Order: sequence, then C-alpha cells, then structure tokens
Amino acid sequence: MKKQPIRYILAGVLTALCCIALPLASLQAQTDSSAAKLVAKKKVAYTKYTFEGNFIMDEQTVMVPSAKSLEFVFQHRFGTFNNGFTDLFGIFGGAHIRLGLAYTPIDRLQIGAGIYSENMGVDINAKYAILKQTKDGRIPVSISWYGNVQMDTRKKDASTLFVTFSDRLSFFNQIMIARKVTEKLSVQGSFNVSHFNNLEGYLDENGGVQPMYKNTHLSFSLAGRYKITDKFSAIAAYCQPLTQHPMNNPHPNVSLGGEIRTSGHTFQVYVGNYDGIVPQLSNLYNQNDYTKGQFLIGFNIDRFWSF
Amino acid sequence: MQNKIIALCALTGLFIAGAAFRYQPKPWAVPAPAAAKANPNKSAEDLTAGKALYSKHCTSCHGKTGLGDGPKASELKTEPGDLSKDVASQTDGALFFKITEGRDDMPKFKGKMDDEERWQVVTFVRSLKK
Repeated sequence: MKKQPIRYILAGVLTALCCIALPLASLQAQTDSSAAKLVAKKKVAYTKYTFEGNFIMDEQTVMVPSAKSLEFVFQHRFGTFNNGFTDLFGIFGGAHIRLGLAYTPIDRLQIGAGIYSENMGVDINAKYAILKQTKDGRIPVSISWYGNVQMDTRKKDASTLFVTFSDRLSFFNQIMIARKVTEKLSVQGSFNVSHFNNLEGYLDENGGVQPMYKNTHLSFSLAGRYKITDKFSAIAAYCQPLTQHPMNNPHPNVSLGGEIRTSGHTFQVYVGNYDGIVPQLSNLYNQNDYTKGQFLIGFNIDRFWSF
Repeated sequence: MQNKIIALCALTGLFIAGAAFRYQPKPWAVPAPAAAKANPNKSAEDLTAGKALYSKHCTSCHGKTGLGDGPKASELKTEPGDLSKDVASQTDGALFFKITEGRDDMPKFKGKMDDEERWQVVTFVRSLKK
C-alpha cells in the first residue's frame, strides 16, 4: 500500500486549524477586550458544564478541565451481543481496554497519554478549548480541537506491516462545536480526520499491490447529553463515515447510555457499535453493523483530581 | 466462670463504646478578612446552581438536607454536623473559607469548584436552616 506524503497532510490540517483558531481566538480576545471596556473589571462569564467529562462514550467533548487538573480514565469495551448467552452477550467475550492519563497544565490546554490493549497501542494526545460559550450569548458555542498520535508497538515480523518506524503511526484530529442549549440539554457536532501512514493492501491478479483502504478517512459525529437529575444524564452519540474505501467500508456508530457524576468521578455505561476506543481505529475499522444488531456494552470511568 | 462472664461483658461494653465514639471536631478558626467577605452570588439562580453543586459534591457526607446523614458519613472520623443549625452562627465568608480550604475529612474544593460555584454552595447551605 502506497504511503501518502504525511507531512503535506499534517501541514494542511495544522494550517486549517490555524485558519480557524486564530480568527476565533482574536474574536474571543476582542470580546474580552470589549467587555472590559464597557464595564470596568467585569469578567467574561462563560457557560459552565456544557459537558462534565472528557468523553461522551466514544466521542471526546469540548470540555477541557480547569488548570492543574489530572484525569485518569479507564475505558472498557466488551464483545458484541452476537453469541447470546454462550458468552453472556459479549461480557465474557473479547474485550478492549484503554487506560489514559491527562493533565491540564494551563487553562484551556490538556495533554495526555494512553495505552490500549489491541496491538499494545500507545497514544499521546492534546485538546485545546479554542472558544468558550458565554452566558450573555455573545459567543453562542464552544469550540475545541482534539488531536492524537497513536503508535502500534507490536514487534516487526511477517504478520505486521512495518518497514519504517513511521509505518506504526496513525493520527486523529477533530474540531468539536458544542452548545449548552438549556440547563439540561447540551449538543455537539464534530468533523473528524483520521490518517494512517501505512495500511493493509492485497495482491491483485497481476501481482500488483492494491489498497484496501485510503490512508485518510473523514467522518462526522454528533453527541448529546440530557440531564435527568443533578447526578444522572442520558447520553447519545452517532458517528457517520464519509470516506468511501476500496474495501471494508466502516459502519457508523450508534450509541446510547447513561452517565452518573459524583464529586470526583464520572461513570458512563452504554450500548454502542465501536469497540476500537482509540478514535481513528474505530472510525476506520468498525465492522459492527448496527442494522444487524451488532452492539456491545462499554463503560468509561473518569476520575479527576485538582491540584 | 462468673469472672469470665463479667470480663466478657466489660470488653463488649468497651467495644460498643469505642465504636460509638466519634472524634468531635475542634474549633475551626477562620481568618478575620476571610470571614468578612460578602457573598456576591445570592440570587435565585445562584441558589438553584448551588443546590446542584451541593448535590454533586456534598450530599455523600452532609446528606441531602445537611443533617450529616450522607452515605459516607459513617466512614468519617469527624462528625459532619448539622448544617441547618451550624451555619446560623457563621458568616458567608467563613463558610466560603471552609469550603475552599477544607480540613481533615472535609476536602478542599478550591480547584474543584471556582469562586462563583463555592459562593453558590454557601447560598444553598444558608437556605438549609429555613
């Protein structure tokens, strides 16, 4: 499978982010500056708790915790319901697990790292709150960027695809736009770009290498939360693939669940299609078809500390 | 045999007394400048927000109505007290200081909640006495 010139793609993504971030940051600064001029020393009042955790099931949220916060996340996905009671509807089937840590060194910026059970993938990630919704409606939405680099750490052998180091790498970038519509309802949409430096191909009848996938995969996601009580919310998410691949086109993800919040924890239990946890793996490789009832149970446990 | 029964009863009594004993909190001095601070968040909206924050951060120990009967209260070394009575003699600034800094079993909420949110909790806690 041919490698795409990754530096051009990354340059393009970074350029696009700058084109979005700089004017919006300037708008934020102008808004802040204007607010300060109009009313002396009046702080900009930002909308709080659009979401109260970094995740809505498989999706990131616009939330960046306050500065000097540490997050530990445990993400678990069981097997699908397909086998019925023989593996207790996937609970005793194969599982995917990710452990992650993230820290907010300064306001609006979170950096993190994680390790994932499939292929012992390790990832580093970052999230930045570009824009925050304000209470007075001057800024009607929150916008955040999330990105990661994941590395497949398996040994190089005949079964793996690694020729050079960069073959192990995949990338994910997304821009999330969210709005706290009412005190109970928050919604978010995001545009996602996944890129794999090297992917599996196949030999055609002439002995030529043909791609099974395109290296860059686009998708968009929708997510929402509805507060039922102060501590419990219903959560939902949907991710739609946009890129058409030569083979094995991924299926969308439909997920629905519940979220319980305490002072330091957020628990999410849900039913969905994605078992990949790391977003680019889920986005490209999901073959669980919701129209055929190929769902699985997943949960996220988030713990926050403030220093 | 009788002595053994007496000794067993005495030990049982000591055990029960020990289990029932809880450390009574020592006086919590609040610096005068902190105690003198006025609450800037006393609106009806702040009360509603404070109720939600109290529910999330405080009920596990202090209970839903501040009676100190939350599910974790029995695990604490320090009696959480009855907020509906305890707050009457304290200023808003003193309550804000205690929520901010914490002490012993009481965690510090500086960092977990911002200033506005801690004042909102004070507003709600003040309403518990009504």
